[in-house]
Amino acid sequence: MQDHCSISELLACFLARDLNDGEELQVGIALPIPEAAVRLAHLMHGPNMELIFLGARMNVHHLERVPLPAFGWDRRVVRWTESFSDRGHRFEQVKDWHRRVFFIGGIQVDPYGNTNLIGVGSDYQHLKFRGPGSVGTPTLTTHVGRYYIVLNSHTPRIFVPKCDFVSTVGWGAGGADARTRLGLPGGGPKYCVTPLAIMDFTEDEKRLRLRSVHPGVSVDDVQRQTGFPLVVPAEVPTTALPSDEELRVLRERVDWVGALRA
Amino acid sequence: MSTGQRTERLRDELEALALLADGMTIAIGEPAPMAMVRHIIRRGLRNLTVIASGLTLDMLIAAGCVKKTISYYAGGGFGVPVAPAFRRAVERGEVSVWECEEGILTSGLEAAGKGLPFLPWRGGVGTSLPDVNPDLKIMQDPIRGETLLAVPAIRPDIALLHAATSDVYGNVQHCGGPGWLDLFLARAADRTIVQVEKIIPNEQVRADPWATTIARADMVLRMPYGAHPYYSRGYYLQDSALLQDYVAAAAPDDGRRLEQFLDCYCREPALHGDYLERIGIKRLLALHEY
Repeated sequence: MQDHCSISELLACFLARDLNDGEELQVGIALPIPEAAVRLAHLMHGPNMELIFLGARMNVHHLERVPLPAFGWDRRVVRWTESFSDRGHRFEQVKDWHRRVFFIGGIQVDPYGNTNLIGVGSDYQHLKFRGPGSVGTPTLTTHVGRYYIVLNSHTPRIFVPKCDFVSTVGWGAGGADARTRLGLPGGGPKYCVTPLAIMDFTEDEKRLRLRSVHPGVSVDDVQRQTGFPLVVPAEVPTTALPSDEELRVLRERVDWVGALRA
Repeated sequence: MSTGQRTERLRDELEALALLADGMTIAIGEPAPMAMVRHIIRRGLRNLTVIASGLTLDMLIAAGCVKKTISYYAGGGFGVPVAPAFRRAVERGEVSVWECEEGILTSGLEAAGKGLPFLPWRGGVGTSLPDVNPDLKIMQDPIRGETLLAVPAIRPDIALLHAATSDVYGNVQHCGGPGWLDLFLARAADRTIVQVEKIIPNEQVRADPWATTIARADMVLRMPYGAHPYYSRGYYLQDSALLQDYVAAAAPDDGRRLEQFLDCYCREPALHGDYLERIGIKRLLALHEY
């Protein structure tokens, strides 16, 4: 596994395969795996995808190499931008966001995919750890067609029975109608991906369910690192590895600096 | 024959910033008007309520200027998930947070601009935001009976912005579009001060009035390279190395390197020109946009 590809590359390729041509793919700040995934999908099978980095909307399918947005919003990114999607006219067309796909991180995740970027601690006035804040994730996850929860580590500190604070509602208190009851029009979280496993949500209860484990990881490993019981099907396959072609495009045309291999 | 003369709004940097005072609510645009931010730090203003994000907010907190922040995001960038001074000050209770997110913030600013007590917003329904920020009220909408958040008007005393050009009458034109919050801040604030790369003739403004992004800014300041170390579209790129220096200086808890950084880049240079001399012409020209 290690000499074939890194975990971050594996996750980027997994996410890329799940993205469809024609979709609007929005990636915010500090999420290198989704950043690579949308660019890889764009090159592999998405000539009509629209990439939205920090609100700068672009189609760069014709480029040999797809520019990194990591340096923000200056000319190096903006030179490829066709419009500032909704920035400057912020959130004026959320009614059409069912076409949009989004990605979030989190400092806590609960069994129903609710997440927390606010902070850790029982008392908001005296947090043990102050998080960065919600950015635009509450609004985006309320409206987008679907989103992915992408985490850099998988521990019982992150996967908790209940978030200390909820900044984005996944499946609320659980149940297929959880979001409808709250009046949230978007489709909710589809997968939660981590360095150990891929998880989805059960159809009825909308509880986190193990979908596949990465090479060299056991079901027990994942459960031990999760602070609540996961739904575990009888058969848990190993996460499919990237193809040679996916890895080549990823390394030569997307992540040529090797950020996902560091 | 007419009498009198149209009043110019071009000001000297010290004259304009004399308007700022302890305890004000100050909104800071993006890219950040760093020349004015450095003046705030140099003057050592206190007890400000600051609408800002990221490392700009962090520097103001590090310099002890901030009592409360209306912030949707305080990430550090460069692999630092939370801006270091923000994190320390909030965990110690020295700075309070008016917890929000981008859609809630812009709704509050739009309410102020429109003269309304509040505007409804959906993003945040079902989250902890109304629990940790009691100013956000959960409401039933009177038309369809849906559950929404009522976001109170957010009305800054002053908005500080950076843009490409303006004429002397405060007709501001951004190059390549305004930063995402700037127009919301300008509409919501009682007064708006805009620093620009270049003052242009009024005739050039009239050649393309649709390009005027902010009409009648209360004051404009000529501050070439004034967004440094951030970018200014049409002029220069972000100087990420200096921002990384800040993060490295702010990360240790002892404050020693942080004070050195703030002294060197914010407190010692008396005027914007002094700051640019300290940065040096070679470094500034190396950022020239390609």
